[in-house]
Amino acid sequence: MTRPLLTLDNVEKYFGNVCAVSGVTLDIYENEFFALLGASGSGKTTLLRMLAGFEQLTKGDILLEGASITQMPPNKRPVNLMFQSYALFPHMSVTQNIAYGLEMESLPKAQIKSQVEEILNVIQLAHLAKRKPDQLSGGQRQRVALARALVKRPKVLLLDEPLGALDKKLRSEMQLELKRLQHEFGITFIVVTHDQEEALVMADRVAIMKDGGLLQVGTPHDIYEIPETRYAADFIGVMNFLPVTRDGQGFVTSDGNRIAAATAFDGSLVGAAVAAIRPERLHAGTRSDNTLSGEISDIAYHGQDLLLHIKTALTDTPIISRMTADMADQHRPAVGQTITVGWAAKDTIIFPA
Amino acid sequence: MVERNTFRLMLLILGVVFAFLYIPISVLVGLSFNEGGLPTAWTGFSVKWYGALLENDDILQAAGNTLVVAVFSTVLSTILGSLLAVGVEIRRRNGKWLETIIFAPMIIPDIVLAIALLSFFSLLGVAMGLHTIIVSHVVFNLAFVCAVVRARLKSFDWSIVEASADLGASTFTTLRRVVLPVLMPAIMAGSLLGFTLSVDEFIIAFFTAGAGRSSITLPMQIFAMIRFGVTPEINALATVVMAVSVVALALSQRLNRGGLPGQ
Repeated sequence: MTRPLLTLDNVEKYFGNVCAVSGVTLDIYENEFFALLGASGSGKTTLLRMLAGFEQLTKGDILLEGASITQMPPNKRPVNLMFQSYALFPHMSVTQNIAYGLEMESLPKAQIKSQVEEILNVIQLAHLAKRKPDQLSGGQRQRVALARALVKRPKVLLLDEPLGALDKKLRSEMQLELKRLQHEFGITFIVVTHDQEEALVMADRVAIMKDGGLLQVGTPHDIYEIPETRYAADFIGVMNFLPVTRDGQGFVTSDGNRIAAATAFDGSLVGAAVAAIRPERLHAGTRSDNTLSGEISDIAYHGQDLLLHIKTALTDTPIISRMTADMADQHRPAVGQTITVGWAAKDTIIFPA
Repeated sequence: MVERNTFRLMLLILGVVFAFLYIPISVLVGLSFNEGGLPTAWTGFSVKWYGALLENDDILQAAGNTLVVAVFSTVLSTILGSLLAVGVEIRRRNGKWLETIIFAPMIIPDIVLAIALLSFFSLLGVAMGLHTIIVSHVVFNLAFVCAVVRARLKSFDWSIVEASADLGASTFTTLRRVVLPVLMPAIMAGSLLGFTLSVDEFIIAFFTAGAGRSSITLPMQIFAMIRFGVTPEINALATVVMAVSVVALALSQRLNRGGLPGQ
């Protein structure tokens, strides 16, 4: 592996007695699109603010290209932050907002002008250059904030909930736009988000944060398909959990059925456990490694697919199975019907109870 | 129909209240244009009493003094009051008691403040004059400027300060290029309010002016003249002072309502 661009070494942050971030050790590489994903209060924003220099570390070190930047004030760091509220200067035009950071570098006027014009074209806002922030839409403001940070060509661009204030359609457009800009500029992006879809779509790697620590770091695929903890499995996407018992030979559900799982089975462990299965891995029909039957209690229609809520004796909450539009045409599920769904052994993940 | 009558009654009460507030002022303004100069009879419209003001050296000197006091105390209290407002807002943790201390001069009766300042200057052995009036006016103007700027700071988005630092600006550059421009309408509004208060302030100026005519201000001049009865000149002078105050106050209101520049 190449040398990391940014290294967090056992970073810790306390506000008084309250621990916001603890024991975070992480390497982030050049050109990487990295997402910090977590519920509110998980410490992800505090971590981002420490990277920007707005919060002092209680313990640990942050290294950029091998050199510590922990003591460096925010205005000296080659790192820029795009604020959640965008934090555009209300008294300055779009051009003045974008030029501000370059003026701080005391660049020649002509160079500032050309760099601002260039980035205005990249974000396609050249026609609004003279407007003030309050004369722009939310999406336009977001792009100005992005341009203002990007034009400085920082080594690392930090983005705090960059798409949080946008509506759904604009958000999915901007997810791809951010990815394109990151690729085009070749700058490392670190995004803080509570939106798992955003993290999975945009990032090369995702870190799940909980209670100030890193729970799991991995590619979106690994985070989704191979969650290491029950919390991660539950936090990302929808997950069905079946209580099972280890009896020395395998896993048994509460109604006595054996469940085949890909997880290596350790015969010495006995007692309660939980089997986790994604809704899209549950298919109607009996030809699978595992099956379960129940009554359809509810159908949530999503257009491209249906979510079937299946009431079984195994769990208190209904088992959720995703059925594609094609399959729905074929099976015509209805509330009250009894249905049998099956899933493969490889799609069963076992967690300790 | 009951509601309609209630509404009419309320309208009538409103009219009476406004009449009570503004009829005396209207009478004053009206009499200042009365050719004959007597409050008992209207003899025709004239601006001759305003002309008389310009020929009265005492009044011109007092007007000059008032202007000096108002301008200097406004400038000083605007700078100090604005910085104080920003400082208190940043150190919000201890804000409660600090706020009380800052706003006390607004609430303490003028006569108490006047005596306090007089004793203070005497204790220090400072020779009194325009400079002591200026300092004294700063004491209460500061509180007003601070109050107006703080009101604006309540809706101030502090993330723009961090954004400025993030983009490479020093603290001073951030203050100069981001904080001050955004707060400027409130700062101007506060300073205009301070200016008006300073122009027509009497008690504190009277106590801290020291002896002699050299540091007499307009309100003091009016007070001196009125001992020989209300002359038409006084009416004219009072009208001018009022006009200055009204214009400054209207400007202040307008600036403070406009929101952020560009809005």
